[in-house]
Amino acid sequence: MKQIAIYGKGGIGKSSTASNVAAACADEGYSVTIIGCDPKSDSSITLLGGHRIPTVMELMQQRVEITEKDVVFEGYKGVKCVEVGGPEPGIGCAGRGIIVAIKTLQKISTVMQDCDLIIYDVPGDIVCGGFAAPIRKGLVNDTYVLTSGEYMPLYAANNICKGFARLGNQLNGVICNSRNAENEEAIVSAFARELGSDLLAFIPKDPIVQTCERAGFSVIEKEPESDIAKVYRKLARTIMERDSACVPEPVTDARLRELTG
Amino acid sequence: MSPVPKPLEPLIMHPRPSSIVAALYTLRDLDVDVVILHGPAGCSFKHARLLEEDGLRVVTTALDESGFVFGGHDELVNILNKVIEMFDPESIGIVGTCASMIIGEELHEAVLEVNPDVPVIEVEVHAGYRENTKGVIIALESALAAGILSEEEFERQKVLLNEATEVEKRHGAASKEYLEPSRGDTKYTVAKRIIQLLKEGKKCINILNAKKETGYMFADINAAVNQVAKDLGSDSVIVNMANLDENLGLDRVRGHARNIARDLKGMGVEVHEIIGGLDEYPVTGKTVSKLIAEKYPGFDFAVITGVPHAIPMDNLEGMEIISVTNGPRQVLPLKEMGHDHVMVEIDLHPKTLGVSNIVESEFGATLRELAREEMQ
Repeated sequence: MKQIAIYGKGGIGKSSTASNVAAACADEGYSVTIIGCDPKSDSSITLLGGHRIPTVMELMQQRVEITEKDVVFEGYKGVKCVEVGGPEPGIGCAGRGIIVAIKTLQKISTVMQDCDLIIYDVPGDIVCGGFAAPIRKGLVNDTYVLTSGEYMPLYAANNICKGFARLGNQLNGVICNSRNAENEEAIVSAFARELGSDLLAFIPKDPIVQTCERAGFSVIEKEPESDIAKVYRKLARTIMERDSACVPEPVTDARLRELTG
Repeated sequence: MSPVPKPLEPLIMHPRPSSIVAALYTLRDLDVDVVILHGPAGCSFKHARLLEEDGLRVVTTALDESGFVFGGHDELVNILNKVIEMFDPESIGIVGTCASMIIGEELHEAVLEVNPDVPVIEVEVHAGYRENTKGVIIALESALAAGILSEEEFERQKVLLNEATEVEKRHGAASKEYLEPSRGDTKYTVAKRIIQLLKEGKKCINILNAKKETGYMFADINAAVNQVAKDLGSDSVIVNMANLDENLGLDRVRGHARNIARDLKGMGVEVHEIIGGLDEYPVTGKTVSKLIAEKYPGFDFAVITGVPHAIPMDNLEGMEIISVTNGPRQVLPLKEMGHDHVMVEIDLHPKTLGVSNIVESEFGATLRELAREEMQ
């Protein structure tokens, strides 16, 4: 079973990538589970036709007895969708929420066991122990970093790699979600190489992604014949087949600035 | 898609010992030598100090605000090393606190780094569980994982803990939103009443249903009833029941049962019915009810010490019930159950930690003193 987590700067497109990879793998016949760990609880929305599902934390807050059917929902092609949820910005500790929700999920559901692929769509950065919980608790065996070729997303990606290195966690690859920066593919490719890893996919900026998301669907479901759908399918296949990884060696801030020119 | 919310249990707004405290006591029962509380220095301070009097070393990583923000891994590693150096323990417990658990501290990481050559029981617990028995269960799970508890004993403990939780919800400290602490009835008045009943030759069911080490003092009350009856020349029939099975529970708990049974025998008290082990106080009630129904019907009064609210009223109806607890919040629930006289042995627990002989109780002393006056 593949258990993957996709990290990256907030707003860089982790949820879009996660849901499209999930949908593409489901198309290939894999049984897939997606666990959204962001308090926004929008990781699975495009797999559920735009419907928002109750989150584990929301139900725990209501002190109701949670069963599998309350939090695990079937989306596109049988993809099992779970949203951890979390507190309002500035209140409590979202990281702790991830730990508690995942432990709860392990107790009430087999969704984390009975599938070919689990995708953890984690919050923006490894900002606390809780956000790193899927890795630290041994729930993830493959990790990917998503970035664009701009300085700040690369800075975040590098910072995440610092976290991985500290935790002794291996990085399976870098994914570039293009923001149409100059020399973007070359920059991210060089960055990945310096980490000791590879650039696995270059996802071009395409308005179809936003259009599909606004309608509440993944590109795979809504525009299956589009070029961007082909990119996601290729990435999904790479993820399912890839087995090489390394503990990343983060670059210095000065080098990062050099790379981004 | 939202589920229908189930009714909530009443919010308990009075203080009770937390899951952290429960975990500490469990590690003590498992004969762990040193426990590291991974959290603020003040966490569970009172119980930690009491447990030190009971032979358990309790230290803390003393996490401060900086630790909350940046993590306490190094502090835990340092303390773990220091504990090994200072105490040369045969086993170590690490207990989480609210602070360390909220920030997601990984206890196991520190243990791996230090790599001690003695078992370490890692208890990831905080005080936010509604039932404090959760702390016991987590500690036992960790002990099981560390290989110092058998699967069989673990399963047995789980059953008892679930029953203990139910007992507390029915008639215990978890039964009401707020329970006013109370000293209960005056010991002098109730002692006089017992003497009167004994002088009238009334038949007495005398039950010790104590929780572990608290039995060292509660047993003194049951002993006093027997001794006073003898001194008064009462022709009352007294049937003594006690949860002193020496073959049940963790080694430490079995030891308490042996010690108390030995002392009772030395005090001339015959225990007619063993109703369970010292950790079986939540389930002994059924045995008591059955025994009364089958062997001892028609008794006039009952003296129940320890955890009286765990004994169901089924076959106590018609008897005058005198009960002694150590919980000031237990008085009201016992009165509501129908107990006629309820007394509290204040500070019982601190006085029974670290002992191995029966300890004199206030009520036992009162009863004996009044009986002496009566004889003069």
